[in-house]
Amino acid sequence: MEDLTKDRVEQLLNYIMKKCLWQFNSRAWDRRKQNAGILGQTAQLLCGETPVHETANDKCYWVDAVLLAREYRARFPWINELSHDEIKALIKALHERLDFLTIDGSLNEELTVQHY
Amino acid sequence: MPYHEFEASKCIPERKQHAVIKGPGEDLSHALPKGYLNTIPGSISERGCAYCGAKHVIGTPMKDVIHISHGPVGCTYDTWQTKRYISDNNNFQLKYTFATDVKEKHIVFGAEPLLKKNIHEAFDAFPEIKRMTIYQTCATALIGDDIDAIAQEVMEERPDVDIFVCNSPGFAGPSQSGGHHKINIAWINQKVGTVEPEITSDYVINYVGEYNIQGDQEVMLDFFNRMGIQVLSTFTGNGSYDGLRAMHRAHLNVLECARSAEYICDELRARYGIPRLDIDGFGFEPLSGSLRKIGLFFGIEDRAEAIIAEETAKWKPQLDWYKERLKGKRVCLWPGGSKLWHWAHVIEEEMGLKVVSVYTKFGHQGDMEKGISRCSEGALAIDDPNELEGLEAIEMLKPDVIFTGKRPGEVAKKAGVPYLNAHGYHNGPYKGYEGWVRFARDIYNAIYSPMHQLSNLDISKDEIPTDNGFLTRKMLSDATLPPEVVNDPILKQYDGKLDPIPDLRAKTYPVFPKKEPAPVAAE
Amino acid sequence: MTCHVVPKERAGVVNPIFTCQPAGAQFASIGVKDCIGIVHGGQGCVMFVRLLISQHLKESFEIASSSLHEDGAVFGALNRVEEAVDVLLSRYPHVKVVPIITTCSTEVIGDDVDGVITKLEEGLLAEKFAGREVHLLAMHQPSFVGSMISGYDLAVRDFVKKFAEKGEPSEKITLITGWVNPGDVKELKHLLKEMEIEANVLFEIESFDSPLLPSKDNVNHGNTTVEDLRNTANAKATFVLNRYEGGKAADFLKKKHKVPSVIGPTPIGIRNTDTFLKQLSDVTGKPIPKKLVHERGVALDAIADISHMFLAEKKVAIYGAPDLVIGLAEFCLDLEMRPKLLLLGDDNSKYVEDPRIKALQENVDHEMEIVTNADFWELEDRIKNKGLELDLILGHSKGRFISIDYGIPMVRVGFPTYDRAGLYRYPVVGYNGAAWLAEQMANTLFQDMENKKNKEWVLNVW
Repeated sequence: MEDLTKDRVEQLLNYIMKKCLWQFNSRAWDRRKQNAGILGQTAQLLCGETPVHETANDKCYWVDAVLLAREYRARFPWINELSHDEIKALIKALHERLDFLTIDGSLNEELTVQHY
Repeated sequence: MPYHEFEASKCIPERKQHAVIKGPGEDLSHALPKGYLNTIPGSISERGCAYCGAKHVIGTPMKDVIHISHGPVGCTYDTWQTKRYISDNNNFQLKYTFATDVKEKHIVFGAEPLLKKNIHEAFDAFPEIKRMTIYQTCATALIGDDIDAIAQEVMEERPDVDIFVCNSPGFAGPSQSGGHHKINIAWINQKVGTVEPEITSDYVINYVGEYNIQGDQEVMLDFFNRMGIQVLSTFTGNGSYDGLRAMHRAHLNVLECARSAEYICDELRARYGIPRLDIDGFGFEPLSGSLRKIGLFFGIEDRAEAIIAEETAKWKPQLDWYKERLKGKRVCLWPGGSKLWHWAHVIEEEMGLKVVSVYTKFGHQGDMEKGISRCSEGALAIDDPNELEGLEAIEMLKPDVIFTGKRPGEVAKKAGVPYLNAHGYHNGPYKGYEGWVRFARDIYNAIYSPMHQLSNLDISKDEIPTDNGFLTRKMLSDATLPPEVVNDPILKQYDGKLDPIPDLRAKTYPVFPKKEPAPVAAE
Repeated sequence: MTCHVVPKERAGVVNPIFTCQPAGAQFASIGVKDCIGIVHGGQGCVMFVRLLISQHLKESFEIASSSLHEDGAVFGALNRVEEAVDVLLSRYPHVKVVPIITTCSTEVIGDDVDGVITKLEEGLLAEKFAGREVHLLAMHQPSFVGSMISGYDLAVRDFVKKFAEKGEPSEKITLITGWVNPGDVKELKHLLKEMEIEANVLFEIESFDSPLLPSKDNVNHGNTTVEDLRNTANAKATFVLNRYEGGKAADFLKKKHKVPSVIGPTPIGIRNTDTFLKQLSDVTGKPIPKKLVHERGVALDAIADISHMFLAEKKVAIYGAPDLVIGLAEFCLDLEMRPKLLLLGDDNSKYVEDPRIKALQENVDHEMEIVTNADFWELEDRIKNKGLELDLILGHSKGRFISIDYGIPMVRVGFPTYDRAGLYRYPVVGYNGAAWLAEQMANTLFQDMENKKNKEWVLNVW
């Protein structure tokens, strides 16, 4: 990853880690769903698309995505200058990094517990 | 090395895995304290037991219920009147507690008849109360009493009553957290879905993981009422038993203390398709974001924005008055489980404090993930701290104030550091906009107490200042502030009442007519 | 006019007056210097008791737990005791005395605590801590027997039994105070000093009214030493002020070491303090000095201003520790008050044989009830549903809502009194305690008269 992208991913990531709670559901399978659901819709929103949500859970992801997209636009004005492809690539990188920190690279031993 | 080893704990090397200093450039994949492991015997940890986690933390805040503990009298006595969860029914659950009073003969011959007699006696003594929770204790778990069977018998004999049984003896897990888990799961398995509620709004939530400490729940209820949202149940502060049996009919679960109550939200999501929305009721920005999200979910964001604008305009100048005076003050944020992450970042951002340490008595690694993410570099994070480690940390970090429990607060006092009660609060509620200002006010009052300042003076050798007959907090806090801050015409000190809750209880709310029949949540 | 002694008829407890046995042992343990107890059971058994005591004393102190978890409950948890002793001794190098206090869970499991102590003495102490003075002792405290009162009684006996050792006879007496406050210990020591009597005080907890110092000294502990406990065998006599909170220790010392014992009365009120001083004088041959005559006079002077004018015929309910309740009732009678209801919060079958209770039954000239194995519902139900009228309640903080909800003024006394500031500092024993108690009762009644506008104008002139 080039330095600029890396730096931008860290900025976006840092915001999530400090301000959000949705990435920290207790089990790995939920974290994966949450991260994908919310970041997926965030990318859509940042690209001007209208996410479709079929379930109540999708709608709940959308709520967090709307807030996140708003904050990103306000706090990181450079995001408004990016093309849709650039945004999607950026969020993809962010998603990978978030999955790593909260799931695949996480030291939390309870993520794989079978029951809630 | 990010892991921190306490001098006092060198002889118990496994403790080294339980403390981390957040280093520059390090993230959660580098270091995370272990959590929710069996306590080291004799370490003088601060943890409670699984019985108290079930009964005292989650069960008892339910307000319209006879809470009986099946066991010797101590478990009941010890978990009675030691918390500040109030309720709007004249605090019934705070005032009355019930024990079956198991004695030696019952240990030998069984205590089931005793339990049954107790249940009848309790319903007879309080005929207006028709709901009951029964909590197993160590003794009755070990003798194997079948509490569920007795409860079933009584429910057949008295058709107008309903009884919930929680089998969570004190030894069932490393800490009170084991009890949180057991009662969450027991409640959804036994009780959720057994009452069909009247739906009066298009917007229906459960408010979960909120215990109405000094009225927190009622502060948040005020916001929900102003938005026209029906709060079907609160799990469990100021919550009603039958409301909680109807949790399956909510459109959204709004989750506050994920540590104690995420299990039931996760199960409600899996079993009934009700989404889980994690929120923060503490702090202006997190609370505003939380109200916005709930508004957005229901398509009534404008109602949330109106509240945010009104409350912020009213209370922000007061919060900022304190922020100017709390800047840079060092805090050990040492609560029980969830407040380390509810508070860590937002007391830094909105009050100017510096969090030098976070700890959790009964949190899991997930709580540390949140807490460490939210606190700044250099902070010391400790899982399941013990007495000597706490003292060592105080000596090392030299905090200006400590947020912790009553007894550790006495330790802090002797070390010359004022404490604020992180569990029961000093002069709460602390939730909501006004509550957050009240918290800032309490911190300010602790740090700038003239008596606290006097306690540091050694009259046998220090120079004794004789020029003042008194000092005020403001004389201490404003001495080094620039004049434009001291004289700022907008900023002002807190001017609310001792108790803001009675006014809330007397309030009436606008009626938002219901548009359509209640949507049935996806099964 | 009669005084009945009745047991609570219900099986269950609504709002308990006492907690369970191990709490009593824990309170006793913090009175011993260089002592940290290990409670063998669930963590709540320690965490809540520490909280309770620290709420009362507004201080912290140390008690450890063996932290019984599921595996221990199933397979036995003696390994937890072994580890706890090792960890505790390793991290607290000053600790010499470690009582192992059992609880309901570990008694039901049947953990052989005495056996593990022998094992530790022969293994861990002999090897890892060789040369260090360490004393382990078992305290069996099943929570389903007795109450915190019997727990305290047993713990005092266990401490004495462990350490008492015959040596040179001493002129000193042993004074077992019972479960009292730092202020009481201070007052008792004052009386002894005026009598010029040397005493071993069990337990020296005066230090729990401790200072906040610029040096940031953070250690709080009692000051009774192993040496003090050892010398209980050589004392001239054992004085036990509270029969149910030290009586067993006195019996042991009498039987095993032939130390004469003087049991009670609890020196609450003028008359019982007189008796206490007389007994001290009889045993030691020391006269009662003029200074105490003066002190007694000061107290009587203060009491004379309030007793027959204000306190007479006031109806009072008293609950809490048995010796305290009986002592307070006796004092109230001397003050011309009417103790209507005494609540003794456990099922000790000895209460009915207590000579003081018998004396009440024989001589009280108003309707009075004494309820044994009582809970707070025995009080509230009588007020709410059975027409009991009261002017005053005497008891500890756990009964506060009865006072609040039924508008009956209350003087906090006993343990715990966390909802009033600083009460641990004031004595209820001795002449000073008598004056303080009488004045507290009067001032509380005065405040209530004003709050209720009930002859509040009487106090315009007094």
